[in-house]
Amino acid sequence: MRAVVFLILVALTSACDLDLVEVWELDHDRVIAVRATPPGILAGQTSEIDALLGNSDGSPVVTAPVTAVIVSPPSLAGMLALEDGRWIVTAPDDAAIAAARAELRLEPAAPVPVVIDVGWPAYTATKTIVLGEERANPTIAEMTVDGTSALAASEIVVDRTAKTTLSVPATEEDRVAWLSSCGTLADFDLKTAFMTVEPDDPIAGSLAVVLRTRDGGVAWKTWSIRAE
Amino acid sequence: VLNPTTTIKLLRRCAAVLAITTTAATAQPPPAEAPVPTAPEQPPLGEAIVVVGRVIDALGKPVGGATITIEGNTEPSARTSRTGAFEVRAPVGATLVVESKAFGIGIATVTGPALDEIVLLTEEQLGETIEISSEAPAVAPGAARLDRQELQRVPGTGGDMVRSLTVMPGVVNVQLPIGYSGVVIRGSSPQDSRVFVDDFDVPVLFHTIGFRAIVPAETIESLDFVPGGYDVAYGGASSGIVLLKTRAGSETRSQQAELSVIDGGLIAQGGIGKHSRYMFALRRSTIDVVLPSLIPDDANLTLTTLPRYWDGQLRLDHELGEKVRLTLSALGTDDVVELLGSSQEDADSKRFYMSTRFLRTTGSLRFKDGPWSGYFALSALLPQTKFDFGLHQRIRSWFPTVTPRFEVVRTEAKALGLANVEWRVGAEALISHVDVDLAIGREPREGEGMTVADSNDASVKFNETLWNPTFAAWTAVAADLSPRVRANFGARAEAFARNEEVALSPRGEVQVKLAEAWKLRFSAGAFRRPPEYQSEFLSKTAKSERSKQLIAGVQWEPLQGARIQASAYYNDRSMLLRYGADGELENTGRGTTYGGELVGTYRVGPWFGWLSYSLSRSTRVDAPGAMERLFDYDQPHSLNAAVSWKGKRWTFGGRFQLYSGLPYTPVVGNVFDSDKNVYVPINGEINSERAPIHHQLDLRVDYAWKWGPVALSAFLDVQNVYMNESVVSYFYSFDYTERAPFKSIPIIPSLGLRGIF
Repeated sequence: MRAVVFLILVALTSACDLDLVEVWELDHDRVIAVRATPPGILAGQTSEIDALLGNSDGSPVVTAPVTAVIVSPPSLAGMLALEDGRWIVTAPDDAAIAAARAELRLEPAAPVPVVIDVGWPAYTATKTIVLGEERANPTIAEMTVDGTSALAASEIVVDRTAKTTLSVPATEEDRVAWLSSCGTLADFDLKTAFMTVEPDDPIAGSLAVVLRTRDGGVAWKTWSIRAE
Repeated sequence: VLNPTTTIKLLRRCAAVLAITTTAATAQPPPAEAPVPTAPEQPPLGEAIVVVGRVIDALGKPVGGATITIEGNTEPSARTSRTGAFEVRAPVGATLVVESKAFGIGIATVTGPALDEIVLLTEEQLGETIEISSEAPAVAPGAARLDRQELQRVPGTGGDMVRSLTVMPGVVNVQLPIGYSGVVIRGSSPQDSRVFVDDFDVPVLFHTIGFRAIVPAETIESLDFVPGGYDVAYGGASSGIVLLKTRAGSETRSQQAELSVIDGGLIAQGGIGKHSRYMFALRRSTIDVVLPSLIPDDANLTLTTLPRYWDGQLRLDHELGEKVRLTLSALGTDDVVELLGSSQEDADSKRFYMSTRFLRTTGSLRFKDGPWSGYFALSALLPQTKFDFGLHQRIRSWFPTVTPRFEVVRTEAKALGLANVEWRVGAEALISHVDVDLAIGREPREGEGMTVADSNDASVKFNETLWNPTFAAWTAVAADLSPRVRANFGARAEAFARNEEVALSPRGEVQVKLAEAWKLRFSAGAFRRPPEYQSEFLSKTAKSERSKQLIAGVQWEPLQGARIQASAYYNDRSMLLRYGADGELENTGRGTTYGGELVGTYRVGPWFGWLSYSLSRSTRVDAPGAMERLFDYDQPHSLNAAVSWKGKRWTFGGRFQLYSGLPYTPVVGNVFDSDKNVYVPINGEINSERAPIHHQLDLRVDYAWKWGPVALSAFLDVQNVYMNESVVSYFYSFDYTERAPFKSIPIIPSLGLRGIF
């Protein structure tokens, strides 16, 4: 805890020029989010795995993983299959779910977490879905730019001389992640973020927002963005 | 434990006898013809025995022709020879009256067949203060001491006790704060050492902001650094301890004010009547005034509560007759910091709040009556911690502790054929009522490499109220086995109720005086640290970590005020706590540390010199069959050289440091946890790389002057004057694909002003 305080102060007062890639920078090869649709299924139901990837050209893409494997619980490793280029999880019957529950020493009727490793040639990620309980992904119902709805906009235009407020509805428990390949973002992990455009910032690119719920639900939206 | 400077105030003209042990006095050694006492059985009280002794003056010269009269008799029983020696028959407990024309009357009590040297003072000397200076013996091989003035003279420390510890041999030197309440000693973790203030430990050693010691140096009498082989009177540490002694207020009333860019404080001290003294100190941070101006305007940060701290000390001393002294002391701190990593004041998910405060109050009674001495103390500790990080992590802890403690010492000049026998017995009980409510992530442990700090992780939960008593008792005997050999053996028994554990830790030391200036010391002992550090307390199955220490040292005092100590040590650690496969703490680790240390001190006139060098290697094996690896705080080389000169107005000092960088674990990959939106690092071989060597020069200058009735002093303390920037550690990007060095701060000036009135 003291180290946290110290590092915060050091970073603010003496070591600000670290020049490391920021978590909100979209023009960076990486996994931004992995989605299971839906994130919780009952016996016999299916869930599809896909992901939002960031690229060095600044344009995020939605794609299926190249590889996927269930790492926990081992007894359910066979319920994942690649079908027509899509990774599909099919929940086994209730008896197999109960056996997995016992394998993980869970309470009776508790949802069974299934951890899936997904991969691409350059990076890997983990995603957890649950069996024995129906869950749904959230929906990004609105997005505003300086208070004006921009959810359906094909391109977002911001004032490069002003601080722009970006906002989505979210509960306190939700995790919000804003990403951009244009301008500079602050409070990128809050439901309301701010964008400024510094002289050496890119003035065009993409904007993305990812909404995560505490029970594994994921939703994202992407837009083109330009500063003028 | 002797003070380095013993000031003997002669308060009564009739108190003309000073019985001073030969190690502290400037007395000359007894001549060859002086009667050498045999070692008869201790006679019953009242039976006359043959008593031998020697009478000297304040300079240590023998006083011949002095008469020795047993109190109650009218005629002298003996007369001293030219060498000052005498021999009389007198019962134990009798008072001997020593008279000589050139001196005042002296009095001595018969405690056995051989008396301490009796010092007679002239009439002039009886009316003045005689200061006898001698460097106190180190409390263990490799141990070192700094007194108050020296603490404030070490350059690069800002006069701070914690930073002064970095000059000690065996202390890991690093520019980042490590731990909460301990220092890293001889390849151990910070929680393996303990800091005792007047024999009682304190929950924190330094303030959250500014990393200043919780006790200002001005209120400290002395600091003893014992890197290993510490006494049976102390426990709870598997490496070494730091013993801080606070000082009683002076007889003369004075007030002192001090201001620096870190903090400012007031100290008041003086006498109350003839037998009482007080010392009061209060300090508050000033960095909270400065800090907002240091934070850039564009920083996305809100200081909801400016970080600040208070600390205060109160000490009252009262002499209850000649044999008893009462002391009441209180020591407390109050730290708070609250900040938001956002400009939005309702962004509670990015809130960091920490408040730590404690108050320790102690009442003690010390007595000395003939061969008996000792103390009884009752101490209460009231510590409170509040911590919030984000929406989910919190700690609320409150564990008041009461500690009764006593130690009784009996000394005999001769017993069982041994000389200068000292027997000690003591006991203490630490009775805590623990009230903890916490929800945090799993705490990383030493040797884990890089871990994820996720403020949403509250997977470790604990909410209980319980009693946690710990009992300890100890005894030790020290005696001269021969004129050149002194041994000290003892044992400490401890019972930790929380973990249902009982431990017996034997410890001992042998000192061999090779020649007048040369001494060899061998020490061995067993030590334990109970699993009470932070979340270790949550485990009921974890047991104490253990260490066995072997130390051999040699000490050379080539001249008055100069001492050179060299020591070699080997520490075998076992039962080290590690996380098992199920995430529970297990005592599966082992560790080894060995090395050598050199300390040279020079305290003559206006000069104070200090040289310390440590060479060490510290390794761990986390579980049976696991690979041996370097310890997180393994620092092979550490060199400190400091020199200071004090004139009437000016004091100049310089200090050079050179020390190895610490090992670290490189990150070789990552896995993205999509649900938590965090990257989990994949660590390479643990501690397989090391930060580079760091060296720096610190300078300090003090100037003192008078301004009316106020004695003023100002200091400028500049660290790293030639601006050497070394890599201390590395910051990683969020996905561990990039890293940037965190370098030592190029130059740190510190300015302070003090006024005494």
